[in-house]
Amino acid sequence: MEPRAMAASAAQRRPSPLHPKLERLDPAKPHTFIRPTKRIIEGSDMSHFLTSGAYRDIMLFIFQLNRSLCPRKKTAGSSAPTPTPTPGPPRARARADPNVQTFTLSAGRNSDIEPIKKLRELLKKVDAIIDEAPPDKNAGRRFGYAQFRDFYALLEQRADSLLKEYLPQHVLGFSTQQQPPESGEGRVGPMEELKAYFLGSWGSQQRLDYGTGHELSFLVFLGCLYKLGAFQDDSRDTDEISRSIVFGVIEPYLKVARRLILTYMLEPAGSHGVWGLDDHSFMPYIFGSAQLTRPISSETEPMPLEGSVAGAPKPSDVVKVELANPHKEENMYFSAIGFINDVKTGPFWEHSPMLFDISGITDGWGKVNKGMLKMYDAEVLHKFPVVQHFPFGSLFSWEADPAAAKPERTVHMAQQPTATLPQGGGGGTRTPWAQTGGTTGGIAAPMLPRNPPAAAAAAAAGDAGASSGRFVSDVPSTFPQGDPGTASAQYSITAAPWAKKK
Amino acid sequence: MADLDRAIAQLRACRPIPENEVRELCHKARELLIEEGNVVTVQAPVTICGDIHGQFHDLMELFRVGGDVPDTNYLFMGDFVDRGFYSLESFLLLLCLKVRYPDRMTLIRGNHESRQITTVYGFYDECLRKYGSANVWRYCCDVFDYLALGAIVLGASNTLSPSTGAGGGSSEPIPPELGLTEDDIEIEVRNADGHIMSRFPRQERARRAAAAAAAAARRSNSNGSPTNGAAPAPPEREVVVSAPSNTGPPGSGASGSSGGSVGNPAGAVLCVHGGLSPLIDKVDKIRLLDRKQEVPHEGAMCDLLWSDPDEIDGWGLSPRGAGFLFGADIVKVFNHRNDLSLIARAHQLVMEGFKEMFDATIVTVWSAPNYCYRCGNVAALLELSEDESGLGTYARSNGDVNRSDGGMGDGGGGGGGGGGGQRGVLAENELMSLRMRPGPARRYRVFQAAPQDSRGMPAKKPVADYFL
Repeated sequence: MEPRAMAASAAQRRPSPLHPKLERLDPAKPHTFIRPTKRIIEGSDMSHFLTSGAYRDIMLFIFQLNRSLCPRKKTAGSSAPTPTPTPGPPRARARADPNVQTFTLSAGRNSDIEPIKKLRELLKKVDAIIDEAPPDKNAGRRFGYAQFRDFYALLEQRADSLLKEYLPQHVLGFSTQQQPPESGEGRVGPMEELKAYFLGSWGSQQRLDYGTGHELSFLVFLGCLYKLGAFQDDSRDTDEISRSIVFGVIEPYLKVARRLILTYMLEPAGSHGVWGLDDHSFMPYIFGSAQLTRPISSETEPMPLEGSVAGAPKPSDVVKVELANPHKEENMYFSAIGFINDVKTGPFWEHSPMLFDISGITDGWGKVNKGMLKMYDAEVLHKFPVVQHFPFGSLFSWEADPAAAKPERTVHMAQQPTATLPQGGGGGTRTPWAQTGGTTGGIAAPMLPRNPPAAAAAAAAGDAGASSGRFVSDVPSTFPQGDPGTASAQYSITAAPWAKKK
Repeated sequence: MADLDRAIAQLRACRPIPENEVRELCHKARELLIEEGNVVTVQAPVTICGDIHGQFHDLMELFRVGGDVPDTNYLFMGDFVDRGFYSLESFLLLLCLKVRYPDRMTLIRGNHESRQITTVYGFYDECLRKYGSANVWRYCCDVFDYLALGAIVLGASNTLSPSTGAGGGSSEPIPPELGLTEDDIEIEVRNADGHIMSRFPRQERARRAAAAAAAAARRSNSNGSPTNGAAPAPPEREVVVSAPSNTGPPGSGASGSSGGSVGNPAGAVLCVHGGLSPLIDKVDKIRLLDRKQEVPHEGAMCDLLWSDPDEIDGWGLSPRGAGFLFGADIVKVFNHRNDLSLIARAHQLVMEGFKEMFDATIVTVWSAPNYCYRCGNVAALLELSEDESGLGTYARSNGDVNRSDGGMGDGGGGGGGGGGGQRGVLAENELMSLRMRPGPARRYRVFQAAPQDSRGMPAKKPVADYFL
């Protein structure tokens, strides 16, 4: 499915059906907030998730942010938006088209609206907590440093006051209609919803890992703020605000996440090893490729599906440090590549074969961007191990989106796990069927095999039984029916007492 | 055989062999492995290795450091695949070597040798990418089902034989002021070039007691997080404390223990990927399992491949979601009951490559340097020397044939029989006074990731569907 089609199918019919945007709540209407809770318990819940309001809004928000980053052709006589193209690295500048406006990381920081600046300060505060909980380099460790739990404890302690200090008053004071007392929910306001996603954004204190699920949690934190009108500013258009969100908040967030990963050696959450896109992140590859796509000239023009903007680095520049590095201050894709080069040793094609192959794409960044969006949908949002940790409230809602199309019944979805049993999480390899308590977890996205993995694996399992001859009956009956990618039996949450140090 | 040698040569060059050859190889391997018991008996000398995780070039470095096959006997404790770029080449090479030199190579199963785990952690993706279909992954998974679950090393000496690995016999004399001889060395650590990094003599009782007291004090001060397990001590400190309590005259082979068995003076060493199971109190119970299946989500077989030792008392739930955590008391009772002097296991990253725990009753060996291209850890292998006292030798046996005696026969090579049953369950206060077997002399070789200069860049492959 094309990104546009995906967005459209996920969106309710709205004034701009082509490029729908996330809807803001009407501040005049009291809203009933819901304490976010996990809803995806079994594999079969996945199909509901894909028709939920939350899924629709996540996709909408990503497409909205993505599109805002796409270079724009300046129309003759148009009053181009103030932030002029910032000069990129010399090579890029030399060939840049003066009639095209591109958007780079360093552009327009100072002109960010107040709530964005405040969020950056919030991120600085989070970053500073790292200094308060230094890793104990003398203590033994297996993968991650246990002092990440101290960081997390401090963050948890301070979350309320931090959010109160740095989020707009009108957001936290959003007019609230309480649920009837018999619901047993107690008082629930915007803070409860925001805090859940905020705290879910920094990795798992229990498992000492970080992955795309945590990244998603932060995106949704921003999505909640957006819906609550935190970024509303009459002097800016939606695209400008969207860009501010990406460059002014998401990229600084990724920097904090990278520092967390480095400082505490956080493990990739559910890693396909070298065969995943990236150990920890996905967003920067989407947004970074959007920054470099072929420009669009009107607001009705669809996102380009191929081609690059003039002056863009080549996709193949990714694999050479000296070619990639000059772009990392301006482009999110290269910023992410820069981080990989910082933390990994060894040939790039060996530790990042997926990104290596993508660097061979010759149809430009538009093609890369299209692929990244599709891949995100399939490898993050469609993956039970990632979204099982996602909590649903009122803003990103579990309730079905009436306009949603029935999700395609893919092989993949047919293979979701079914059973639930208790377990916790910790360091090292975990069972794919292990679930853990606490905050949203994540899994680094794997590459898409050219054959549907579930189908191939299921077939393989069948054959395995056949070829092992007399041991046919020994092949566990769960495997052939289960999802080889996740597990045929999933365990729900019982954190071991010693697994969680508060 | 010519075919096999050619395949070995090709795989050593890090080039995968064609699908039909993989199929044939896996078939042969299965025929061989099916004859092996759940617990393979291995005769020292042997070099014990931990996780590999598809780090092919580091596996080559391991062979350089430890000596090549078939000159050196190897025992790999599983986790050949997943995470790295060359799971396929690494596993197939090991398998080829197993088929070519069955008595020189022992492969036991790790938790990653499983269909379910390989579809999540990379091996499946790798096979698909390298062959365009899942066939090879399927063949390999079929072999996984036949891998042994553990091994017992017999005939290990409690003195070290001269070094034969990298650096050959480079032997650095012990400073005379120490008043020690080569025979007093319990643990020796060498670097990748064979140079001695450190040596630790067996401790006489008094010094050992003092050290133990100091260690106890350290422990109570350190207050480390129990979940993270890894004690702060670098190997040296752990090791010094760890000298066994009941050593006979050094080099005599006499343990002074009633469990002493002829020809196996240093006690047997159990090798298993993960650790112990609450369902397994005796090694023989492992033999009763039906192993020819996908690793189950729970039960004894699962535990052996998934469990971890930890600084706890008794058993604990594993944060991994499978297997258990087990404490020092569990290990000591198990070793005592089974006449083992040591459990060697892998399964957990150790920055220093190896880590002895619980008074050297269990050791973790980790053989994937700079794990995942970023952990910065070193790797290690563990060499156990052959006991040359001439008191007994044992033919390697594949399978359980002629081993119906059931008792401790396998553990102690016959001599230690009867120990298990009579000793039975120990009261807690007895635990403290448990007379541990003296450990075999252990030589660790520590090595780093292989240099990368020799690896050429491959052509870019077609991208995944999303990008078409």
